Amino acid sequence: MKKLKDYLPWIAYFVFFLGILIVNPGTHYIHLVSRVIIFSLYAVAFNLLFGTTGLVSFGHALFYGIGAYITGMLVKATGPEYFLLFIVLGAAGAAFVSVFIGLLTLRLTGVYFTMLTLAFAQLVWGLTFKLYHFTGGDDGIQAIAKPAMLTGGVTKYYLFSFVVVTICMYILWRIRKSPFGSVLNCIRQNPQRITFLGLNVYKNQLKAFVISAFFAGVAGGLYAGLDGSIHPDMLHWPTSGNAILMATIGGMGTFFGPVIGAAILTGLEEIVGKYTEYWSFSIGVVVLIVVLLFPRGVLGIKRLAGNKNKEEKETEVVCNS
Amino acid sequence: MDFNTLIAQFVSGLSVAMLLFLVASGLTLIFGVVNVLNFAHGSFYLLGTYFTYQLMQMFNNFWVGLLVGVIGAGIVGMVIEVLFLRRIYGRDQEGAFQLLMTYAFILIIDDVVKFIWGPEYKTIPKPDALMGSLNIGTTVVPTYNVFIIVVGLLVVLFAWYFLTKTDKGKMVRASSLDRNMLGLLGTNVPMIMTLVFGVATAMGGLAGILAAPLRTVTPGAGVEVIIDSMIVVVIGGFGNFWGALLGALIIGEVLSFGILWMPELATVLTFIVMIIVLIVKPEGLLAKKMVGRK
Amino acid sequence: MKRKLISLLLILAVLAPLTAVYGAETIKIGALYTMTGRGGQYGKDSEVAIKIALDEVNAKGLPGGAKLDVIITDDKNPQYAVSVAKRYITDEKCKFLFGIISTGIGLAVTEVSKEYKVIFVGTDHAGTDLTANKFQKYYFRTSNNTFQSMMAGAYYLKDEVKNWKKIAYIGPDYAYGRDQLMELKWGLDKLGVKYQLVGEYWPKLYEPDYTSYITAIIKAAPDILVNGMWGGDTVSFIKQAKPYKLFEKMKYFHVDAGGNYEALAALGADMPEGIIMSARHHNNWPETSANKAYVQKFYKAAGRYPSYAAEGAYVGIHVIAEAIRKVGNANDTEALVKAMEGMKIQTPEDPPGFISYIDPKTHQIVQVQAIGTTVKNDKFPPAKYMLGNFKVYPADKLWPSFEYIDYMTKVKGK
Repeated sequence: MKKLKDYLPWIAYFVFFLGILIVNPGTHYIHLVSRVIIFSLYAVAFNLLFGTTGLVSFGHALFYGIGAYITGMLVKATGPEYFLLFIVLGAAGAAFVSVFIGLLTLRLTGVYFTMLTLAFAQLVWGLTFKLYHFTGGDDGIQAIAKPAMLTGGVTKYYLFSFVVVTICMYILWRIRKSPFGSVLNCIRQNPQRITFLGLNVYKNQLKAFVISAFFAGVAGGLYAGLDGSIHPDMLHWPTSGNAILMATIGGMGTFFGPVIGAAILTGLEEIVGKYTEYWSFSIGVVVLIVVLLFPRGVLGIKRLAGNKNKEEKETEVVCNS
Repeated sequence: MDFNTLIAQFVSGLSVAMLLFLVASGLTLIFGVVNVLNFAHGSFYLLGTYFTYQLMQMFNNFWVGLLVGVIGAGIVGMVIEVLFLRRIYGRDQEGAFQLLMTYAFILIIDDVVKFIWGPEYKTIPKPDALMGSLNIGTTVVPTYNVFIIVVGLLVVLFAWYFLTKTDKGKMVRASSLDRNMLGLLGTNVPMIMTLVFGVATAMGGLAGILAAPLRTVTPGAGVEVIIDSMIVVVIGGFGNFWGALLGALIIGEVLSFGILWMPELATVLTFIVMIIVLIVKPEGLLAKKMVGRK
Repeated sequence: MKRKLISLLLILAVLAPLTAVYGAETIKIGALYTMTGRGGQYGKDSEVAIKIALDEVNAKGLPGGAKLDVIITDDKNPQYAVSVAKRYITDEKCKFLFGIISTGIGLAVTEVSKEYKVIFVGTDHAGTDLTANKFQKYYFRTSNNTFQSMMAGAYYLKDEVKNWKKIAYIGPDYAYGRDQLMELKWGLDKLGVKYQLVGEYWPKLYEPDYTSYITAIIKAAPDILVNGMWGGDTVSFIKQAKPYKLFEKMKYFHVDAGGNYEALAALGADMPEGIIMSARHHNNWPETSANKAYVQKFYKAAGRYPSYAAEGAYVGIHVIAEAIRKVGNANDTEALVKAMEGMKIQTPEDPPGFISYIDPKTHQIVQVQAIGTTVKNDKFPPAKYMLGNFKVYPADKLWPSFEYIDYMTKVKGK
């Protein structure tokens, strides 16, 4: 019984993302759900840093963007045959960069860390504009081909994204359930304790930072293939902000919250943009409501009464015993 | 390189620096005292400008507009602090919620401005007295740029006097150091925070109004200044008023001479300066306190 | 009885919209425009012009009594724009994609147009790429590209400006700014003009403060300063440069977007006299009845005069309507493409004796370019200066230039 309850979110995940294929609501909606699933990976990867480790990065677009640019540029340079490999290389590139940025930014805490991550992301965003002959500048890069087996119809690429994202999600889920995941949880709740236990906060945070960057890079690479075009906006600060938004709306304290956040934000953008040009006002009001009334996100609503969920209790036991 | 060119470029850098300083000092003040990273600070820059524009439509007097714009930006700031920001102080992950909330205000204020005043570019003319240019040797310097530099210096002087010589100023400094202790001593800490928030957003408004006759008044202008001022705050040291001044001067002058000597790099120069500072002194040049590892 | 009545009403209610659809087909055009921030004014102006054009087109009538309708969405960023474009095609069954201010977004959406084989009429973005190295056959553009502006500019510099050698360039640090310099240099070389580039300045797009650039440019002392900014950036630059007496020290040359009405309006009396500018449409040139009527209609609808962006949108709707009339319906995309290739269309900016046409090979509208200098003129308030002393450059001298397209393909890739 306990087992089943643990896997309930996974079941819901499969039912929703595979069920959509059976319902088959039309090309546009499959494209929309493709975006949702890719953003989900981005948000879940981000949440390893944010919800689990307690580090508010405001520069995660950097890793998402690097993944997209490396994948896109490799495809442009060589052809689409090794698309999957290029996504992995893009993610590896994002992870590589994150080591250096992590080393520098993790020396600081709290808002200082937040600001630094923002600054680095903005620097790279500025460079993509600047290195016009290399990155295409503001024009971005278009016509990124997909391998033959993924072209024609949006459903094939959706299935591909689903498989890749699900594998990544599973890995992230295992990480979160592992002893390392508990350490990260403790870092958020009680960093002194970690030091007493003889563990190094800095090193573990850096590990989380790199892992999170890697999977954000995968998401970026996947997106490059979805639209066949990439552009510097993917590196701009609103993309970083979206990660925080998705995690918060869905519930930063849960694993699957960011998935729901991604679905809500994408759906909201779709609906609001359709009916009004004052979308930014509408999104602003929604964010305000979430921040004031639902700080624990959609998945956190039921826990308002103060009963912590099992997972939190467990880590608290680990942290404080 | 002849002396006149150096002077001209230095003065250009100074006027850029002063506007940066006016925005960044408010940002840093809010952070230092209220402990909020006000991502929406640029929106008060924007609001100040539009209030002044509105007043000038009615009275056609820059100085009246300036006064009302500054006060208006401050009042909106205080209202937002009391009604919204205050509710999230002390929450878990407060930093993230501050970011989200102030981000929401960027979105909301931008659209409200567009809704009220429309999308087209507005003009705020310079006051007649500040129209011309001054000649310093062979160098031409616009009177208005000199005016901005003077106002910036006045703000610095006033702030120095207030923060170091008056009781209220000492209280403000104290509240940035130990809020609880101050509260125990019977000071109305929330009141101080609201007032500081108001003063800081008023300064943001002042920057916007001073810049308006030189720049383009349009929705979205607030976002354009916020990232630069954040870099200034990072370089100077978070929460440190004098750090904001130093950071603004460094950025203004580095940019100014960078444009003269290596214009190709101008847009990334500010970031390069920032990264160098961060490698050498990650907490910023004049950090209030050490913020190293816990 | 009552029940029957209700069911009858229900059936009627269901059928009413159906009959409306069958009675007169509505042909939907899916438009994307920037509605927020600095580009927002272009979006709003385009929206007004689209309404005017729709009224004209629907009043005149389309084959089978069909009506044109336009849906407009704020495009935000390329990622979102692509998603909306796909929704337009697959969900809303739009027959045409339309609009777009930013070249970056235009490039992303032209891929959608290619993939779904749906015609995309670009009305504002000026990146030459779309009708050159990134050309695809479902794309058409109804306003000029930066090459046409800059080539006309090269002629102007050769023939109208005397005794100069040194030029400096300042433009926003992104593709639009970079391309203009590349195109002007190519044009000047092509015309055999000898010049020396003494400085290149690349402030970021939306840079609020140009003071340090201005003093550096004055130090570099070019004979001519070429500016590649648009909209609010132009306004800021000129406001800041004027008290430095920059305009007395060198010729100022700004021919793609410098003379856009919104900049003239925002600068008012701050606009220096005698600087060389142009735009993709002028409210006071040509003085034809067609242009006057268009400008007045816009003023009546919006309470302000149009920026150039509006005309591209206005022409775009007419091009689509004309193509539908030729083909007889909006369903045969290939026939519509054929109908639009080489189409002649009278636009507000055509001087007497000239009709704009769409180049069949590149799908770029070919139009006369007029470059002028600022003169006092308060007939279009709040602007205090408008352009005058126009020099007119014949359309076929400017486009197509396959030599340049080859060059561009080599530099920027396909």
